[in-house]
This record gives sequence, structure tokens and C-alpha cells, in this order.
Amino acid sequence: MAKLRALPAADDQPDRWEAQLRKGALEMAALASLWQGRLYGLEIIRFLENHSRLVLAEGTIYPILNRLKAEGLLTSEWVEAEAGHPRKYYSLTEAGRVRLRLMAAAWTNFSDGLSRLLDPVLERQEKLQ
Amino acid sequence: MNPEMQMESYLTTLRSHLGLLTLAEREEIVREIEAHVRDSAEEPGATVETILARLGPAQELAAQYRDGLLIRKASRSFSPLVLLRASLRLATKGVSGVFVFFCSVFGYSIGAGLIFVALAKSIAPAHTGLWVEDGQMAALGAFEYDLPPHAHEVLGMWIILKTAVG
Repeated sequence: MAKLRALPAADDQPDRWEAQLRKGALEMAALASLWQGRLYGLEIIRFLENHSRLVLAEGTIYPILNRLKAEGLLTSEWVEAEAGHPRKYYSLTEAGRVRLRLMAAAWTNFSDGLSRLLDPVLERQEKLQ
Repeated sequence: MNPEMQMESYLTTLRSHLGLLTLAEREEIVREIEAHVRDSAEEPGATVETILARLGPAQELAAQYRDGLLIRKASRSFSPLVLLRASLRLATKGVSGVFVFFCSVFGYSIGAGLIFVALAKSIAPAHTGLWVEDGQMAALGAFEYDLPPHAHEVLGMWIILKTAVG
């Protein structure tokens, strides 16, 4: 998002729309990053950078984790590390796993539908190019 | 300003803008962001300045935490004030937020109007109700003036129940 902020977001509607879209998906992405096991904030950020093309304002993830925890979808624990300071690790709760499965199914359904709708648009663009 | 001071100043601003949260929550947030800065600083080429820039302004980060709390409160609350505050906060975020805000204001206005009608019926029964003229709705509410002569009132005291349910 640091990169996104550099764009003229307010005037440029498609960019603003894309930023909103990424933001909307971030909650699900944060849950998905914990599917394999516990991670701390910075690891979640790096995981999302490596596994998805979500450009991330690093600050954005922390309030989202805080909210997901308050909703009971995540738990957290402070773990002492060699780094000299403790790190806050997050894991999915059972409710979090259930919610993520539902979100994943809804997302796949949604994106399949939209892809079918957008196929002709993209085909036309290819011909123009 | 040395890197340690830069970080401290960022965390102080963050802490001071987390007003609505409990002391324990605030301290945990600050501790977590501090750990983020310290861990990020270990990465090659990172400086505290760029790390803080990538986190975004401390006030904005605090505002995101406060929004999360407000949404949480609103989703558990039936208090019109909390809900209106939450939707007003959403309204500052874009067109869809403004839409939500006006819907909630509209909804509450109708609710308040119906409650008023229910009270009015118990005070002035002859002037309050739902009147129908030639099969069409002619008037609903509480009126000071005389009603259309051919219209008749259909709900009677039921209006109190209807508005309570509505």
C-alpha cells in the first residue's frame, strides 16, 4: 500500500477501486497465511508478499489481526525469541478455520462467476492488441 | 534524531491516538509494533525511517485500530448512537459509506416517526391512524386538522402494535 499511496489515488478511479479490492481481500489473506501454522506479524506480511501479489501497507495488517482476534477467529501468544524481544504469534482458532473454509468457497464461487462474465471483455482486448 | 528516538516518537504518537482502547490493549499494540520495527530493522538494507514510512503515519495506524473497535462495538450494540457513530465514520471513507450513513439516518427517522405515531394514538386516538379512501391509502400518522371526509380509519388501536412491530 506504500506503493499504492504514491499513486494519484483520489483522481484515478481504477487505482482506487483496485486498492479497495485488495483491502477487502486482506482479511481472508491474513487468515489464509496462518493455515499451515502460527506466524508473527512480520512473517505474515512477508508470507503475503511472497505468495500473493497483494501490495501491502505494512501497517494495515496489524489492526486487521487485532480485529480478527477480537472476533475469535485468531488467538495470539507472546513468545520469547533470540532477537531479544518477544514476538506476538497468531494462530487460527477452530472458528477461524471454519470461517476461512467458507470464505474460500465463497471467493472461488465469486471469482469463477466473474471470470465467465469478463472472458469476452478480455478476449476483445487481446484482439485489439 | 537517532533511530531509537525516531521509533520512540512514533510509538508515543501511536499510543496517544489509541484513546478509546483499554490500557492493556494499547500497551499490547505498542509492544507489537515495536517488535515489528525491531524485527524489520534486522533485514538487510532496512532503516528505521523506511520501516516507519512503510507502516504509515502513526495517527492513521491508530485510526485503523479505533475503526476496528468501533465496528466491533457497533456489531454487538443496539444503541443508535454507537451505530450512527460507526456509520458516520464509514461515511468519511467513501461513497458507499455515505450511502450506509444515510440509510441508517433514514431508518432511524422512520422508526422514531412510528414510535411518535404510537404515542400519539394513545393520546389523541381520533386524530391518529391509517386512513383509506376509495381503496387507496390517504393518510398515515397523527393529524391536527380534519381528515378527508370519505376516508375511514382502518387500523384502530392496532396501529400501536403495528408501529411497535414495524
